[in-house]
Formats: sequence, C-alpha cells, structure tokens
Amino acid sequence: MTLAVEATELRRTFRTTTGTVRRTRKDVEAVKGISFHIEQGELFGLLGPNGAGKTTTIKMLITLLLPTSGSARVLGHDVVADTREVRRRIGYVFGGDRGLYERLSARDNLRYFSELYGVPPRTQATRIDELLELVGLTERDRERVEGYSRGMRQRLHIARGLLHDPDVLFLDEPSIGIDPVGARELRATIGNLVEMGKTVLLTTHYMFEADELCDRIAVIREGEIVAEGTPAQLKGRVSGGRVVEVETYGVLEETVAEVGTVAGIRSVAVEERGQQQVLIIQCERDAEVTQAVLARLGDVRVGRVTAREPTLEDAYVELVTGS
Amino acid sequence: MTSLRIFFIGGLMSYRAMFGWLNPWILVPSLIVSPICQILLFAYIGRSAGVGNDEFYVIGNALNYAAIPCLFAMGATIGGEREGHTLGIVLVTPARRIPLFLGRALPVIANGWGVAMVGVLAGVLLLDVHVPSGSWPAILLVVVVTSASCTGLGLAMGAVALRVRESAVLGNVLFCVLLVFCGVNVALDDLPGWMATVGSWLPLTHGIAAARLLADDSSLGDVTGLVTREIGVGAIYTVLGLALLRFFEGESRRRASLDRT
Amino acid sequence: MRSYLRQQRICYLLQLRVLSTSLFDGLLAVFFPLMFATAALLVYRIKDDPDGMQYAGLGAAIMGMWTCQGVIASSLLTRERWAGTLELLVAAPIPLSRVLVPITMALSTIGLYCVVATIVWERLVFDIRLEIASWPLFVLSVLMSALTLALFGFFLSVTAVRYRTSWSLGAALEYPGWLLCGFLVPVDLLPDWLHPLSWSIPTTWAMAAVRDAANGVSPWGNLGLCVAVGLVYAVVAAYLGRRLVESARRHATLALT
Repeated sequence: MTLAVEATELRRTFRTTTGTVRRTRKDVEAVKGISFHIEQGELFGLLGPNGAGKTTTIKMLITLLLPTSGSARVLGHDVVADTREVRRRIGYVFGGDRGLYERLSARDNLRYFSELYGVPPRTQATRIDELLELVGLTERDRERVEGYSRGMRQRLHIARGLLHDPDVLFLDEPSIGIDPVGARELRATIGNLVEMGKTVLLTTHYMFEADELCDRIAVIREGEIVAEGTPAQLKGRVSGGRVVEVETYGVLEETVAEVGTVAGIRSVAVEERGQQQVLIIQCERDAEVTQAVLARLGDVRVGRVTAREPTLEDAYVELVTGS
Repeated sequence: MTSLRIFFIGGLMSYRAMFGWLNPWILVPSLIVSPICQILLFAYIGRSAGVGNDEFYVIGNALNYAAIPCLFAMGATIGGEREGHTLGIVLVTPARRIPLFLGRALPVIANGWGVAMVGVLAGVLLLDVHVPSGSWPAILLVVVVTSASCTGLGLAMGAVALRVRESAVLGNVLFCVLLVFCGVNVALDDLPGWMATVGSWLPLTHGIAAARLLADDSSLGDVTGLVTREIGVGAIYTVLGLALLRFFEGESRRRASLDRT
Repeated sequence: MRSYLRQQRICYLLQLRVLSTSLFDGLLAVFFPLMFATAALLVYRIKDDPDGMQYAGLGAAIMGMWTCQGVIASSLLTRERWAGTLELLVAAPIPLSRVLVPITMALSTIGLYCVVATIVWERLVFDIRLEIASWPLFVLSVLMSALTLALFGFFLSVTAVRYRTSWSLGAALEYPGWLLCGFLVPVDLLPDWLHPLSWSIPTTWAMAAVRDAANGVSPWGNLGLCVAVGLVYAVVAAYLGRRLVESARRHATLALT
C-alpha cells in the first residue's frame, strides 16, 4: 500500500527583510530537513509551539509552498510535479475564522467550493446535506456566515475540506479559539473521520487533544522533529519520573533557578495561574525532593504541594523546552 | 490652563492616534492626487460645456475637497473612538468636554486648509488661473474660515456617527451633498431655487463665493458679509455637534448605549 | 462541456451574490459617481443645449460603470487574500482561470447595473431622454465596455495584490479614469501627452463605441479597438496571474497570516 504522506528531508527557508529604509535581508530556516511518513488511515499529530514550522510543513504538503529542498509525496504523487493529482485527493482545513465567504450562506460556500473541486452535479446536493449533517449545521445552513460563531465557522471549514471526499485531510490547528464544548464536538468529528478510513494530519498545541486522538505524534521544535512515536511512547520518555507541583505566591526567578539545582530534579517550569505561580518540577522517581525544594523556597508563601504521574503535556514541555 | 492643554496637546495627540495608521501610500493619493484630479475634471468639463472659467472650478473644487479631511478626520476622531472602545475611557476622565472636542478640531482644520491650498496652487500651476498677488493673504484667511466651518459640520457628523456608526458612509454622502449644493461647480444663481436655498444653509457655500470674489480682485472688506455668514453657519453646526455629544453622553450614562457594539 | 458551463454558471451566481448582498451597499456604490454625474450635468444644463446633455448623459452612464466595477475589480484579489480564500482557490484542483472568468462576469453585471441606474436617474431628475439610433449596437457596446473593463480591472488586481495598500488603488484610479476615458470631457480636449494614456484604457474605446451607436455612426471600428486593448490586458493578466501563483509558492506570499 502506498503511504498517505511521505516527507523526505523537507527543508524550507524564508527570506525576510526588516526595516523600511535600510533593508537587511536574512534567511530564516523555518523547516530544517524533516522526514516522516503517515500510513493510510492513520491519524498523525504534528505538535509544536507557535513558529515551530507546523504550518509551513503542511503548506508544502498541500502544494501551496515549494520546498527549498527535499521532497514529499502524498498518496504517491509528488507535491511539486503532480500538483493537480495531489490537490484532487487532499482536503485542507485551517483554524481561525478566515477562509470563508462571509456574505454567503454555509450552503452557498459549500456549493461554490464543490464546483471548484469538481464534485459531480448529480451528487452535489446530497453530499452537501450529508456534510452539513456531519458537522451539525443543518439547521442554520441558509444563514450568512458573517453571523456564525467561531465554532460554527470551524465546523463549516471541515465540511468544506471534505466536499470532494479526499483521502487525506490536513487539519491545521482546527480547534484554535473554540470553546470547550465546541472543541469536544470537533474532536468527535475528527474521530469519525478516521473511522471512515480517512488519513488525517493534525497540528495542534493542545496536548489532551493530541493524546485523545492521535495514533502517532511527531513533536517539532524550531523546524526539526525532536521526537516521534505513539502518545504512550512519548509519555514513557518522561515516565520513570514523577512530577511535583508546588503552588507559590510571588516566587522570584532566581529562586526557581536555585530550586532547579536540587539533586534528583530534572527540570523546573513555572506556570502562572492567577495570582499563583505553580512550579512544575520533573524529578527522578525515587528522589525525595519536597523538603529540599521547600527549604530553597525560603520565605516564599507556599500553597498546596502535590505529586502526580507525568502527562503527555509534561513530555511535550520537556521536549520543546529542550531540557 | 488645564483646558488649554487639553485643547492643544490633547487634540493633536488624539488626531495622531487616529491617523497613525495612515501611511503615505494612502495619504498622498487621497489628499493630493485626488483633489487635483477633481479640479482638473471639472475645469475640463467646464471647458467642454463652454461654461465658466478655470478659476471658477479651481476655487470651488479645491475648497470642496478640503471637506474630505474635515468630515472624515473629525468623524474618525470621535466615531473611531467608539470602534476602538476608547470613548468610554476618554469620557470617564474629568476633562472638560468643549476643549476636549474642539481641540481635536484644530489639527483637522489645518489639514483641510492644507488640502485646499494644494488644490489652489495646483490650479494656478496647471491651468489658466491668475490670482492677484495682493489677494493671497485674504484668500488664505477665507480658506481657514471655510475649513473651520466644514469641521463644524464634521463635528456634528461625528456626533451622529456615534449613534449610527456608519461614519464613512455619512462622510461620503455629506461630501457629495456639498459638491452638488454648495455652488462648487455651478454658481448658486444657476442652481434650481430650492437647491440654492439648501446650499445657503451649508458650510462651504459662502466661503467659496468669497474666495472667488477675492481672486477677482475684490478686497477683504467687500466679502465681510459672506465671511461672517460662513462663520455663522459653521458655528451653528459646531454648537449642534457639541449639543449632540452632550446629549449622547448623558444618554449613554443612563442607558449604557455608548460602547455597545 | 456541460459540467464546465455549469461550474461557470454557479460560480458566477455565487460571486454575484458575494458582490451584491445588500441593497444598501448597492445603492451606495452608485451614489458617489451619480452625484458627480449630477454635478457635471448641472454644469452642462446651464447652456441648455440638447446635444451637450446627450453627450454628458451617455458619458455619465459609463462613468458609473468605471467606478463601481473598476474599483471593485482592482481590489478583487486583495479581498480574496484578506478573506483567506485566495489560498483555497489556488489549492483547488481546477485551473485558476476557471475561477476567475465567472468573477469577471459577475463584475460586469455590477457595471451594467450602474449603467441602468444612472440612465434611470438621468431620466427622472434631469428629464434626459437619450436618443439611441441603434439599440442593438448600443447594448452590444455597453456589454463590451463592461467586459473589457472587467478584464482591465482584473489586470490591475493581479498587479496590485502584492501590495498591502492596494485597497487605496481603486479609489485613487477613480478620478484619473473619469478624466481620461472621455466620459464627460472629450479626449481631444486633454493635453496631447495624455492621449496615449487614454488610448491604453479599453474603456476609452468602449465609450467612443457607445456614442457611435447612439448617434447612428458605425461603432465597429471603436469596438474592435476596445476588444483588442481588452484582450492585451487579459493576456498580460493571465501571464502575471500564473507568475503570481508560482512566486507565491516560492515565497509564501499567498496568505496574510
């Protein structure tokens, strides 16, 4: 069976210019030669912080951007040479509220893109009905998109991406800015797609989303893949450890750095939660660090101290902060 | 003293804040090229129709175009605050309202004056227009007065725009009304009677008439009546605008309607 | 072939819907050129010369088209780019030209609407009854004006889409077009050095053809020139469009994100 997606040493540099009067040019390497593959029917997650190169990678795969070097194939078709064949077989959905004709209704938006994707006229109407049903917009299909909420737009985007029944679907941060209920529905929709036999490449920076959905994950940092595997495998990279969370009020950076020097501690991250700063301390399984940490904190006011098993998010934070 | 500072410095600052996004690529065509084109268009229409002379159209259209910054900039300094949700913040300050809003008018008047003068100069350079050198000081003054009264209309429009929100649409409509009714291209006597009546209650009309007389060698003394009427009409709109602003402010405190989007 | 026509028809209808959703916007788009036409007609009216009014009346009608249609067309791609839909159009498997032709047709329809609206206004307000010698040739000339103006607008749009401020381009072109295309001022009256500029705009020829048809002169010569100039822009625009997409793929300039 041909691979759904196969990227080999994909590389992309951008030339940016800064300054209006004296222009200085600088080459920025957004993607630094990444290789990965996706099997057909797989849900593959591309995880990484903003600016890591996720969208650039996707845009090369969907033929909107030429790679500087390296190659990629989608269902066996080269993304540079065979653009027509690739475009016929893929769907592309991105997050946010752009990419729709605001003044047209949801149905008209779908009609328009059906024509562009060459959906046969005879099946078009039923196809659109099915998709509106799938994304739960049947009730409001004749309203103009300008009155839609973000979640509704996002679901309409997904319907649009599915119009021509593509085999491979690229979802670029589809859940960005959607409320928790909407995001849950979206995850259910994505789950259904995989059951229908679609291949999905999903980028996100919500860990639980990736954990719940993805068969395999690649973590990308500064244009390079730093880890790849199933969610369980990635968690395994930090397991064999433990996480201690300490709630503090008004902790200073120097103090945090000092905490990091305690024996048995692998890394310390600070998360702001309202007035608190929560220290997330990754440590060796057997190390007894709590007393030492509290000692280092000195007069800093401390709230609850809890210990827990590492999550995918911990693995992710460890990977992308490069510790 | 505080009011003075609010008047001058506050006005300039808010003007710059509202227009900070306007880069030269938009400003140059819209405030220099467009008025010159409008002047040329009507001057040539006049030549083609065999009506009037170049000077008539140069003065009319140069002053007409001054209304663009007067209406749009004034509308934007007030209406734009609503869009940026800053109006509420401005209104909770203890600053006195009249210097606050009139201060904003000052840079706008200067802008309108500049646009009109660019138009007149372009007319002198490109077309067959001769303004006696002795008339220039008086013309400069009349253009200031006309810009000021147009800005009065802009203030009233800005106040209305707070409620109806379509500031740009209002600005365009008013600009066109001024173009057609104020004797810009057709002397008031040649307009149908009802249009001339409407025109005499709008800013711009008397200013244009005064500037034309001055360019034909009249002295400032000859046009005092026209200038006074221009000031009077401008004052009416300014007072109307301030009254509307006060009314809307009061009403918004009662009904929280100001920052509703 | 049938599916091709169907695609063209549906894309045309939906694009027209995008361009003309609200009656309010529609009225406003005509309002600005209509008021300028009114101002010009007021000038011509003073002489009370029927030939002058016929001249200005015809010119004002096509002038409205220049504004509504030309201005919308020149920001066409920019609008798609801002809406985030340009990327999707390019990523679709059908060639971009098949997307653009219906858009051009939709734009022309808007232009025709402006012509009709202006003629109705002239009739109601100024009591101008345009004397048209040959209605078929007049309608043909107006249709060709709309079509070639759409092509010209599309050319501008392709040229301007790379610049972020191309919004203001349409507005900045409004007045020069009014001056150059012979709507209200005969081209001969303009300074000689401006003539080549006038001749390079298809609408100038279209305007001349419209006048010919109305005045009972054969419009074919001017129509031929109008189509020829329009086609030159279409070819250049198609070439630039292809270059644009290629360069966008190379330099990632398609999206604004």
